[in-house]
Amino acid sequence: MTIEFRNVHASYDANIPILKGVSFTVEDGEFVAFVGTNGAGKSTTMRLVNGLLKPEEGEVLIDGVPTTELKTSELARRVGFLFQNPDNQICCNTVRDELLFSFKAIGALDADAERRVDEVIAEFNFNPDDDPFLLNRGTRQLLALASTIVVEPPVIVLDEPTTGLDFRECVKVMNIIRRLHQSGTTVIMVCHDMEVVADFANRVIVMSDGCVVDQGPTFEALRNRRTLQAASLVPPQIVDISLGLSMMRPDLDGTLIANANTLNEMEAAIAAAVGNPGAASSTPTYAPTAPGAEDALEEGGAR
Amino acid sequence: MIHINDFTFTYRESTDPVVRDINLHIPAGAFVGITGAAGSGKSTLTYAMNGIIPHCYPGDFYGSVTVGGLDTCETALTDISAVVGSVCQDIDSQFVASIVDDEMLYGLENFGVPHDEIEARVAEALDDMGIGSLRDRPIDSLSGGQKQKVAIASILALHPKVLVLDEPTAELDPASSVGVFELLARYARTHGTTVVVVEQKIALLSHYADMLVIVDGGRIRFADTPANVLAHSDELLAIGVNCPRSTTLMNRLAADGIYDGAVCRNVEEACTALDALVPQGALAESRVVA
Amino acid sequence: MKDFLEYVPGNSLIHRLNPVVKLIGSILFAVACFCTSNLVFVCCMLVLALAMAASCGMLRQTTGLMKAVFVFSLLLAVIQVLFTPSGDLLLELPWGYIGTGSLLAALTTVIRLEAAAIPLFLTFYVTKVSDMTNAAVKVLHVPYKYAFTFSSTVHFIPVFLNDMSSIMEAQTARGVEFDQGGIFKKIGLMMPLCVPLLVSSVRKTNSAAIAAEVRGFNLRTRASGYKDYPIAGIDAAALALTLALLAASICLTVLL
Repeated sequence: MTIEFRNVHASYDANIPILKGVSFTVEDGEFVAFVGTNGAGKSTTMRLVNGLLKPEEGEVLIDGVPTTELKTSELARRVGFLFQNPDNQICCNTVRDELLFSFKAIGALDADAERRVDEVIAEFNFNPDDDPFLLNRGTRQLLALASTIVVEPPVIVLDEPTTGLDFRECVKVMNIIRRLHQSGTTVIMVCHDMEVVADFANRVIVMSDGCVVDQGPTFEALRNRRTLQAASLVPPQIVDISLGLSMMRPDLDGTLIANANTLNEMEAAIAAAVGNPGAASSTPTYAPTAPGAEDALEEGGAR
Repeated sequence: MIHINDFTFTYRESTDPVVRDINLHIPAGAFVGITGAAGSGKSTLTYAMNGIIPHCYPGDFYGSVTVGGLDTCETALTDISAVVGSVCQDIDSQFVASIVDDEMLYGLENFGVPHDEIEARVAEALDDMGIGSLRDRPIDSLSGGQKQKVAIASILALHPKVLVLDEPTAELDPASSVGVFELLARYARTHGTTVVVVEQKIALLSHYADMLVIVDGGRIRFADTPANVLAHSDELLAIGVNCPRSTTLMNRLAADGIYDGAVCRNVEEACTALDALVPQGALAESRVVA
Repeated sequence: MKDFLEYVPGNSLIHRLNPVVKLIGSILFAVACFCTSNLVFVCCMLVLALAMAASCGMLRQTTGLMKAVFVFSLLLAVIQVLFTPSGDLLLELPWGYIGTGSLLAALTTVIRLEAAAIPLFLTFYVTKVSDMTNAAVKVLHVPYKYAFTFSSTVHFIPVFLNDMSSIMEAQTARGVEFDQGGIFKKIGLMMPLCVPLLVSSVRKTNSAAIAAEVRGFNLRTRASGYKDYPIAGIDAAALALTLALLAASICLTVLL
């Protein structure tokens, strides 16, 4: 399912424009991260994707259909939305009811729904009878995620999914999202944590002051320091080191060090440069696997 | 400044202690960062320091906690608050006023600061947080970072000896988070204030704190300088604390036998170390083929 | 709804009045509206109220408020038209009749409620809640605890409204159609959402109480307030004016 923004203008208050002509396309099956400071218009963009907010000017198209022409439940079937604060989303007395409510909301409560709910409960390892309000923050966020994906929307929108979570909870949530992406779901995410963006996204869209200022494959965008700086952003640490070193050392220009994006790449590059390539290759976890996957958070230092 | 001895605490509604056998001594003027996984007991630790435990949350309290010489169990909460300023996690419920100026006055009025000093204190605290120009603004109209600075300034105006903050940057973007830490660190340096901050963003703590406390399962696992704590990146990862990538990189290189210098806390330190490590002009063979 | 009853900064004459005077004055004004059924008088009061709103640049908010009051007062007016037969007969009803008098009475009700409501609401728009409570403590000697309860309640209204809209937004994203169907369906859909709202409210009020306590809430006395709220000449004049309005209203009722 593709999402297309055509010169979208939007605001909550007519006097304060938030989006000032935003255009981009998210293709089917992509994992796109939006980065930018608070107030850059990222959350507003997310609201527009699933029609919570309608554009004042321009169009938001879901597979070519403007969001203004879709009913709430039709939008919800197409685009799942995970909010930053799970407490706004959770409203039922048990975990199982909460998941069933997602089907009820879109009018699709049937035997298949029950089966799917049980499947998700098993997948997330939930206790179906737990009271959601007594769970801890991380588990509530997982429940909110589960209730978003239980209805299997082809697109999911995540508004800062890792805020307020600790490292392990963050890894758990992000790994589930990665699995969804790998099974074909289109993922659109707002995230402040550049390490998470670097580890998971395929493409990055940089926003500043209500406009898209840059977009491209993840590391192309994240290595563009000047644009990031203009948007008050700092690249992820390994990219930052790579860029910083190449500034200090013109002789490193064009080397692996000056092009390393991930922990493993950088470690291997340094080891090669100091003439000890064996050190890095001796630990198999460093061997690059699928692009973007080698530095997954769960391996961020595991050995 | 803060002495916690053999401290164990169990909330009344639970059976197991949330923190146990805590021994922690924080010298005056230190900038202390506390971190750990969710539910590890780090917030409870701050409640013990600002007197919210035992005064607001009842439970079984063993051991002793003294702050600025006051035993928190024997001192009224208000008297502890005169020494320890607290910035809550949910600043929206901390605010009592709609305008920045009135928010600043609240604590000053309550603690009976002489009225002829109030004006100077308000102006000074706002300037310390770099928000002097926001004085007459409605709080609702401010950005998250500005709100956080107002919440901190309203406490700094009370001239606390200790400042305790619970996840001050949780809702902020990276630039505003750095801004808040930058101002806090500068304030603590110039005024000799002891700062204790609970924070998930370990990269910020590594950079700004001079003591890092890692809590795991209600116990203190590490309490040392950031460099000494970060040297244990593998152990930290095992208890759900992820070191900054720059630190992890240099620790890996150290384990590989390539690097034997000091632990790096941030990108700048890593760059400097790598600059020294990588030989000049020895890289012809590793050039990327275009 | 977002800026409902929230202070709008300004420097108009009404902004500068003593908060206590604004509060008492607006109450006297409202009482004056209710003391008479003279249509001309309540019309004058409405014009006066609108003039006050205009003088402090609050016409936009006032129109919004008037719409809300209109809906409510219309309900009362309809009941009045149907059940208080008076004046010349216009329409026969099984239980009585609708007369010219009923219509006039209903019209008076609508205008009276509008006129009485405007200054009361205006008071909130032109007075910071903190000024209102501090002045009440200083000038009227209201115990601080009560004043604080009041100001916290007002402070939390927008917070809760905000929470409610976030919750509704989250449910809309799941496909709940708040925008479809009648009022009863809508209420039915909103009922389950009270649970998350309640949970977050309890959490918030609890942390607010602790936050206030560690900032010396218990130490506060009447003398603590930094700002003074003296009654100036203009305040006395404003009070005199509202008292005169009240007197006029009572006279009209007694004499006519």
